[in-house]
Amino acid sequence: MANLVRSAAAAGPLARTVDHAAVTRYLFLVPYLIVFALFRFGPIAGGWLISLTRWSLIGSPRWVGAANYRALWHDPLFWVSVKNTLAFTAVAGPMLVLGGLALALLVDQPLRGRHLARVMIFAPYAVMSAVVGVLWNWLYDTNFGILNYYLRLVGLPVVAWLTNERVALAAIALTTVWWTVGYNMVIFLAGLQEVPVELHEAAIVDGATFWQRFRSITLPLLTPTTYAVVILTLINTGQVFDQIYVMTAGGPGTATLTLVQYMYYQAFQTYNLGYGAAIAYATFVVLLVVTLIVQRLFRREVAA
Amino acid sequence: MRKVIGFVLCLVLGVLLATQVHAAAPMELAFWGGWTGPDGDVMRAMVHQYNARNPDVHVTLTTLQWTPLFDKFLTSMRAGEGPDLMAMHPQDTAQFIDGGLLEPLTAFGANVQVKAGDFDKNAWGYSSYKDTQYAVPLDFHMHGLYYNVDLFKQAGLDSTHPPTTGDAFIEAARRLTIDAAGRHPGDAGFDAKNVKQYGVAFPNNHHAFYIWYALVHQQGAGFSIGGTQVNFDDAQGIAAWKWEEDLIFKHQVVPVGESNPAQDFLTGRTAILIDGPWQMPAMQKQQGLNWATAPFPTVFGRPAVWGSGHILTVPKQRDRAKQVAALDLAQWIVRNSDFWATSGNIPVFRLASETDRFRRLQGRAAFVSMLPYEVILPNIVKSAQVFSAAAPSPIVQAAQAATLRNEDPATIVRTLRQRIDSVLAAP
Repeated sequence: MANLVRSAAAAGPLARTVDHAAVTRYLFLVPYLIVFALFRFGPIAGGWLISLTRWSLIGSPRWVGAANYRALWHDPLFWVSVKNTLAFTAVAGPMLVLGGLALALLVDQPLRGRHLARVMIFAPYAVMSAVVGVLWNWLYDTNFGILNYYLRLVGLPVVAWLTNERVALAAIALTTVWWTVGYNMVIFLAGLQEVPVELHEAAIVDGATFWQRFRSITLPLLTPTTYAVVILTLINTGQVFDQIYVMTAGGPGTATLTLVQYMYYQAFQTYNLGYGAAIAYATFVVLLVVTLIVQRLFRREVAA
Repeated sequence: MRKVIGFVLCLVLGVLLATQVHAAAPMELAFWGGWTGPDGDVMRAMVHQYNARNPDVHVTLTTLQWTPLFDKFLTSMRAGEGPDLMAMHPQDTAQFIDGGLLEPLTAFGANVQVKAGDFDKNAWGYSSYKDTQYAVPLDFHMHGLYYNVDLFKQAGLDSTHPPTTGDAFIEAARRLTIDAAGRHPGDAGFDAKNVKQYGVAFPNNHHAFYIWYALVHQQGAGFSIGGTQVNFDDAQGIAAWKWEEDLIFKHQVVPVGESNPAQDFLTGRTAILIDGPWQMPAMQKQQGLNWATAPFPTVFGRPAVWGSGHILTVPKQRDRAKQVAALDLAQWIVRNSDFWATSGNIPVFRLASETDRFRRLQGRAAFVSMLPYEVILPNIVKSAQVFSAAAPSPIVQAAQAATLRNEDPATIVRTLRQRIDSVLAAP
């Protein structure tokens, strides 16, 4: 009885303590929320507002409503950059995902030197984008590049990697794969560690081949990882900028003009800040649509 | 523990020293310029020298590529933290003056000690906008020919008389282009897929437009921008693009899609390079390269060559004393610009271009001789939109349509005109 009374009496203050705890929890979030509001949400909202103005950095922005978006719709260079971005994603994306998976499977085998191999494959990812660009500019150089040196050695015609409109985008995709495939490999490698060894052992006992085990055990259990890798790769390739800026700046012609490159050109090379912001939001929409499509495909996959 | 004590002592000492220095702190001046090659080192050396001579002023030079530098300039000026002295090109000023960012020299009265007569007359004129002087001109740079003397001799060409006309240029380039079997373009059986040495290294970026710009001026009608319209003669524009395309695709004396024309010249893979005087430090450094310079050839009726230059401007700010100090720095640099000339740039301050130090520099004479014929881009408020060196700009699109795609010159001219006019007409 005394216990009961005590607990009843304690109920009030205790409830308040719980409230305090909740408040405290949220208070712990405040520093992050402030930073988030200042450096993430603020610029995102600000960018939207800027996209509704005409502003050249000099002087004050002037409200133009949806004029920038209307102009975008009729801007051939915008559509070229949409096409190039999708083409880049279509070329580099599969190589990044499948390449990452293949490399992860390879360095997951109990082979000698696999730890060194993991480090070596991941290492380029740690290199700064500008350095990657300069490095590959040398490799791709028409007259002195090592790639053309080997082509000459085996008697093939040399390729103007970065100045031929038909190969420049693919050349940049190749650079991107070399640079970032290690990142996908690491995520896949982590996913592979989650696949229970017993399943493989049981399958081996049942006489399943490597390929059968891969199709029926590894791949299905990797689906959440694959989903994450595909989405991340899509978003990253859709926003490709650094290596293009350093290597071709969008050229030759408009062969490597991607959405972010065009946004940079409009906002910071020709000072059409409002128009640049509109391209940024258009990029967001394009990426959102592509991501939603991929998400739907994966859902169906999981449901099946 | 001892380490900690040592650290604290150092800290205290440091703070003491810092306050000591602060007591006699010199005026800090920020000087920005887009010199990211050997020219940046030369200017840094000049600033160092100026600092040593003027203990009450401390100048810090910041160098970035021009386009990001102008971004930084615009955003910093908005924040009230712009530079005290800002370098730019004559064709860049209109946009900044229009935005109210630059102080006219007339605001400085007697502090302006240089005058029009001290400079090449074009240079002083190019530093003004709507009849108001906004800058102290520093140098000119323009296209010229670099040629490999040894390769000229091997081809049996007179290396003391480089080509001056379009026809002579093409003929020399033809003889300097050699395939694996020693044949030249135009010879029977010439193998264009197996060329050992090319005659000319030709740009495929905005510089190809600059060459077109010069060729249009050589035909007389010129190129100008009035209000919302670009003015040039279509037939002359077509002839100029055609000359460039023929050089590359008909005469076959230029490798298509070169990624680094200057590098190709430096290593002897091409015999002639069209480029600016900023390449001279690299030429001098290249071991075993026997090089010389010549004026840009006169392909059409009259001589004209694309050029630009560097000018020094004083941005608007509240601190008058800093502005005056910045102007003093600018005038000192200009007066001593014979040293700046080691970076390749051609000083426009007459006395600087008459010193022995300048005259002894290799290769400059050809560039100096072209000063009267230099044509610079129109200085317009929308210069970034029309003349950007970035790939999507109207001029680079036109340049690459010609030099990489061999597109119909009439189409290139039509597209160029449309795109420039639409940029000009946009609000």
